[in-house]
Amino acid sequence: MAVVEAHDLHRTYRTSTGTLRRKWHNVEAVRGVSFEIQEGELFGLLGPNGAGKTTTIKMLITLLIPTKGTARVLGYDVVKDAREVRRRIGYVFGGERGVYERLSGYDNLRYFAELYGVPPKEIHPRIDYLLDLVGLKGREQERTEGYSRGMKQRLHIARGLLHDPPVVFLDEPTIGLDPVGARELRATIASLTSAGKTILLTTHYMFEADALCDRIAVINRGEIVAHGTPAELKRDVVEGAVVEVEVFGLPDGTVERVRDLNGVTSVSIEEREQAQLLIVQTQPEVELTQSILGTLDGASVGRISRREPTLEDAYVTLVAEE
Amino acid sequence: MKTLRLIWVGWKFHVKSLTLSGFFILTSVLQPIIFASVAYFMFQAGAREGTLLYVALGAGMMGIWSSTLFGSGGAIQWQRWQGTLEYCIAVPPPFLLVIVPLTLATATIGLYSLTATLVWGRLFFDVPLHVAHPVAFIVALPVTVVGLGLLGLILASTFIMYRNANALSNLLEYPVWLATGLLVSLSLLPVWVGPISWVLAPTWGINALRDAAIAGNAWPEIGMCLLLSAVYLVIGYFALQHFERLARERATLTLT
Amino acid sequence: MRENLRVFFIGGYLSYRALFNWMHWSYYIPTMLGAPVFQILFFAYIGRYAQVESDEFFVVGNAVQLSAMAGIYGMAMTVGGERWTQTLSPLLATPANRLPLFLGRALPLIANGIITSAFAFFVGWLLLDFELTWSEIPALAVVIAVSAFSCTALGLVVGALGLRMRDVFFLANFVVYALLLFCGVNIPLDTLPGWMQDVANRLPLTHGIEAARAIANGSSLSDVSGLVWTELGIGAAYAAAAFLLFKLFELEGRRRASFETI
Repeated sequence: MAVVEAHDLHRTYRTSTGTLRRKWHNVEAVRGVSFEIQEGELFGLLGPNGAGKTTTIKMLITLLIPTKGTARVLGYDVVKDAREVRRRIGYVFGGERGVYERLSGYDNLRYFAELYGVPPKEIHPRIDYLLDLVGLKGREQERTEGYSRGMKQRLHIARGLLHDPPVVFLDEPTIGLDPVGARELRATIASLTSAGKTILLTTHYMFEADALCDRIAVINRGEIVAHGTPAELKRDVVEGAVVEVEVFGLPDGTVERVRDLNGVTSVSIEEREQAQLLIVQTQPEVELTQSILGTLDGASVGRISRREPTLEDAYVTLVAEE
Repeated sequence: MKTLRLIWVGWKFHVKSLTLSGFFILTSVLQPIIFASVAYFMFQAGAREGTLLYVALGAGMMGIWSSTLFGSGGAIQWQRWQGTLEYCIAVPPPFLLVIVPLTLATATIGLYSLTATLVWGRLFFDVPLHVAHPVAFIVALPVTVVGLGLLGLILASTFIMYRNANALSNLLEYPVWLATGLLVSLSLLPVWVGPISWVLAPTWGINALRDAAIAGNAWPEIGMCLLLSAVYLVIGYFALQHFERLARERATLTLT
Repeated sequence: MRENLRVFFIGGYLSYRALFNWMHWSYYIPTMLGAPVFQILFFAYIGRYAQVESDEFFVVGNAVQLSAMAGIYGMAMTVGGERWTQTLSPLLATPANRLPLFLGRALPLIANGIITSAFAFFVGWLLLDFELTWSEIPALAVVIAVSAFSCTALGLVVGALGLRMRDVFFLANFVVYALLLFCGVNIPLDTLPGWMQDVANRLPLTHGIEAARAIANGSSLSDVSGLVWTELGIGAAYAAAAFLLFKLFELEGRRRASFETI
């Protein structure tokens, strides 16, 4: 039995504009997301900002009720059996907020340990252990309002693990951490999996998903656009090549012209300071550099390179605006 | 047992958190003192006799209600701003057990107001702090606090739905002061206010405190206050469940 | 001059909109209209019970005080709110003349105050023993406008102090309560201790309330003109003090780069 199951999850928000005459419209944040996570897996939900990652996670951790579709965690329905789900999951949202500022880190953890039903005898040793794990030892008696962003993040993580839940949801956990801290956190996350926990991780960092996850689902604009192991996703892309052309002043219509060329799988543009980088993914065995240059209408050209595609390219393709 | 410990730990936690919040304490002490002074001066200027302790108790209770109102109603909003509301909902215990310690804590903070107004009255307005029935008084005090705290619970449960709930807080301060007869004898108010005041626990609480302090039998009123508190608890439980679910459906647990 | 007028009107309107954009009618009505009703009732009934003064005393006193409340909170929020939304620095960096800038903000607050007072008088007439003749209304409107202005000026001082303090809302609250205690809103001024009367006479609202009560009793505007001018003068004095504070803090803030971090 899958530990986490999502079936056709939908979530629509109603928002309004204006003060005197309100106009209501619906925003479909999640439109039919389905996936399964097996026991002990580290599953990644990868997508750009606004793709619906946080909304999806919130539905799974019982904070939002789906407008359509169902989800189960460890067999319990997230809507009907919310309490049972809450007992068995931990989640980490991170960010500047979400802690009681006037009180110390220790007090915060103590309170939530009580809420999560950690047996009284185990509370102190557990908190001790977690403080050590996340690197907050020695700072736990200070008021959290004085914590740096990174420290608050670590506190969130400690809180999420207080009751040693079998399933952990992490929403962009490395955001706001310095590179060293982020690396340590990734190591911690990996160790959680070796301890047998099932983890759902959302991120918009490609390399993070690639490095950590057993399987990845790429989500964009509320829908899953691809899923599989990192190797599988790469394989779909690794055949072929990527041609990168640095152009000073990309002429209008270039993208369409390049796309029309035979053998081109996708085109995207990256803005650099003085120039644009035209990134063209081509099918294997096709030499298109000259043709691409030909579409540039005589614009000035800088570096040209041809390389193997990475998972990053696949990701960019999948989430690129059409 | 576990429930009691949860309430105890939660209560301690929130009392500590509120006490360390300068703004909250200062408005729990400063505002009651000023309003008490206004009341003292008004009664001093007026023709009615023998009212000082009566005024002191009433003014102190005003403070407890304000603390409860802004604390409990504001608690939801404050937790929303702080970002902790979601975390408090997604825990195993029913939300009731998360909120009750909070509203009890805010009502407890209200005791600061009561103490402050009594001391202030003693120091500057010669309020005689002589209590006729000390035992009844000591019992009536926490009973009243509990009654107020649980009334705050019902407030909190409606406030969870609305992002701008604190507007309602502003609206409910004076009316409850009026309807519970804190400073004005209910006989002066229109007849239809009577039933409203009877279902408000603070009405019985203040009457109990007055009877215990000045003269009279406080025990029936203490009983009424406890009874109403139990009713509030039940209503609060169902209201919270309902509104919490609505908040999850309509995604109003966060600011955005 | 024209530039100043523009800054005055447009800046005022826009910033009013910006600050109150989040204020839906569901917030405005309970706060600005609902609560005042009960405030008047509360004090009027205490007055009846304590047997002090008459309903009219309390209706007039509170109605004027309510017009002022908006001024103080509004002004304090103008500065405090901008600290909050981090717009203070860019604003202070503009070359716009400070005086019309802030006066522009005062205008909608004064208008708001007049509306609230009018509503309060209406409530007093409807629910309590209070009568007002039509001829008294214009004079009252003048008195209220002046009182609202002088309280807005006090609000400016609060806002200016807010540049230095962490919590301007607390100070604004405290000032509103202090006015409630000192200015004869609900307590006959002559029953207060001497030192409190002295303080009251240096605060806004006191003379405005006295004038309003006189008018409600039949005096004409010219009868109370002395009080009205005093009220206006007090307001101007507070406004001047506020600008001095602004200049002072602005210079210091620039030196210490402390606007956002206090």
